[in-house]
Amino acid sequence: MAHPSLTDLSPARFLAALPLLLLCLFPPAALASTAVSHALGTTEVPASPERVMSLFQGATDSAVALGIKPVGIVESWIEKPVYRYLRSSLQEVPLLGLETQPDLERIAWLHPDLILGAQNRHQDIYPLLQRIAPTVIAEDVYDFKAVLRTVALATGKTEKGQCLLNHWRNRVTDFRERIARKLGGRWPQTVAILSFRANHARIYYGGFARTILDELGFQSPEAHRQDTWGIKLTSQESIPTMDAQAIFYFMQDEPAVKRTFDDWTAHPLWQNLEAARNGQVYRVDVVAWNMGAGILAANHMLDDLYRHYGLSNTLPEVQDAC
Amino acid sequence: MNRQWVVRSQSDRFSVRASTRLLATGTGLSLLLLASALFSLSVGSYPTQPGDLLHLVLGTIDDPGLGLIFHEIRLPRVLMGILVGASLGVAGLVLQGMVGNPLASPDVIGISHGAAAAAVLALWLTGSAGNTPWMVPAAMAGALLVAVALVALVWRVGIRPARLVLIGIGLAAGLSALTTLLLVLSPDATAMTAYVWLTGSLYATRWNEVWQLAPITIGAVAVILLNARHLDLHSLGADMAQGLGSRITRMRLLFLLAAVTLTGSAVAYAGALGFVGLIAPHLARQLVRAGHAGMVWLSGLTGALLLVWADVIGRTLFLPRDMPAGIFIAGLGAPFLLYLLYRLKKRTG
Repeated sequence: MAHPSLTDLSPARFLAALPLLLLCLFPPAALASTAVSHALGTTEVPASPERVMSLFQGATDSAVALGIKPVGIVESWIEKPVYRYLRSSLQEVPLLGLETQPDLERIAWLHPDLILGAQNRHQDIYPLLQRIAPTVIAEDVYDFKAVLRTVALATGKTEKGQCLLNHWRNRVTDFRERIARKLGGRWPQTVAILSFRANHARIYYGGFARTILDELGFQSPEAHRQDTWGIKLTSQESIPTMDAQAIFYFMQDEPAVKRTFDDWTAHPLWQNLEAARNGQVYRVDVVAWNMGAGILAANHMLDDLYRHYGLSNTLPEVQDAC
Repeated sequence: MNRQWVVRSQSDRFSVRASTRLLATGTGLSLLLLASALFSLSVGSYPTQPGDLLHLVLGTIDDPGLGLIFHEIRLPRVLMGILVGASLGVAGLVLQGMVGNPLASPDVIGISHGAAAAAVLALWLTGSAGNTPWMVPAAMAGALLVAVALVALVWRVGIRPARLVLIGIGLAAGLSALTTLLLVLSPDATAMTAYVWLTGSLYATRWNEVWQLAPITIGAVAVILLNARHLDLHSLGADMAQGLGSRITRMRLLFLLAAVTLTGSAVAYAGALGFVGLIAPHLARQLVRAGHAGMVWLSGLTGALLLVWADVIGRTLFLPRDMPAGIFIAGLGAPFLLYLLYRLKKRTG
């Protein structure tokens, strides 16, 4: 049997095939999908998802930065239920419970068409999430750039994501120039990042704030250059290991935390720290420096640093940049 | 009238005696468990009616979302609650019967602690922020290790009940310290997983976990049921049991192993749930007094009921937060332990 060629295609046949042909040439947005590879595999996600659900703070921050209003988010760690800096953008967004144990049923009945999770939070429930909707898992919740890239890719907003990252790079360059000029011989400065908790204190060797400070050209004390997130200190005898030219610390506003802070800072060893003797110990905002963990939080942290060192901050704000 | 029924194998190796009261109580509790399971299936943050469940079973409703919620989220969770609750209830009963001390239970003599410490060790070693597959064998091995240590420490003097409990409490304290040390050494994400797991939670139970746990639970309970008459003898005291022809040490080892298997596997899948092993057998005994075969049945049921309800409360009362069931069990268990101690003191003067 001869194969039908285009020439013997009758008009009726052609008309019948026309819709299929058109569909191939101009795929409607709803049908198109992209394969996104992520920490736990590869997921087919709709090209421009409309019902995005965020299961960790960094993804919520990134989504807002990209101009997306999620259809569901998890509760914040403090300033519950939503961090103040995100509240105006996230009014009336349904809450899904805690980041560590989001409410699976609620996730299902809000009918998302894309779920954003993080490996070290949601690897156990990933198979279930995948049954509910296409799920993309970020590898590291502390790497705000990687999170932004993942969220931008999954939501089909790579251009805007790239623009935000370029803007960030410009700000970093600007900050480095200004602070080098301002501090002169005292730059690069060695800084430590501490946190006080209800029953212990922490030094951060890595994590969100540390990576940003490193990128900005600050240095870590010799003892803090380790390939791990940091250390929990329970004995005040370890206070000397906290030392640096300047100390930034954050803590929550709770009586128990305040007590730890008072105890540790009243200790003679603390009084003897270089930073303490020179009055270079500063409290910073725990949400911007440790909990937001997204591009917006990173920009707030950078704003703090501009203010702290009295540098003029002339580049456009992140929300106006892209 | 409380009639007695006896079922006995020809060789007399297996025999069960049941009274009408036991049968009635057991049937009642079984029905209650069934009703509780159905109730648990019908509630959640997704608004469903009990009728939906019926429609779903009959296939008269076609809602993939509803099917997903019933079949993938709620059903495995309820089944896991029943399996774990029953495991712990039976393990508690066996230990109490063997040791002859109403305070003996897997979480008093350190078996749960061994499982928990080993599982947290597995989390720490793998640096994982999720439940690793290693946790199951680790928890079983931890429980077994504690049991072996217990037996080794009391071996020279024979497995004496009081000594077993005291040494167990000592081991439990040491293992809690080890767990705390591992938590302090862990990064945040791992510690957070470990905390939830240590409280005991049925959150996000998956079918494969149910299929893995079910044969272990059923196998161990079957072994206990087949040898239940020895437990009856043991509760008369070691001398009497020996006089009546029970090989004391061998049987004690067997029961210890069965209790360890039940506890280790339950803890591996649902976390270190305390108190179920302590409360369930007591509740069962309050309802009816019977031989151990009957009490295994009842303790399993009360254990399952406790956990199913703790889970229902945990996942519905604080929506959208999912509270670990262990919190509510502990809330019930702590005062119960005090009550037991008080009663024990009164009885012994």
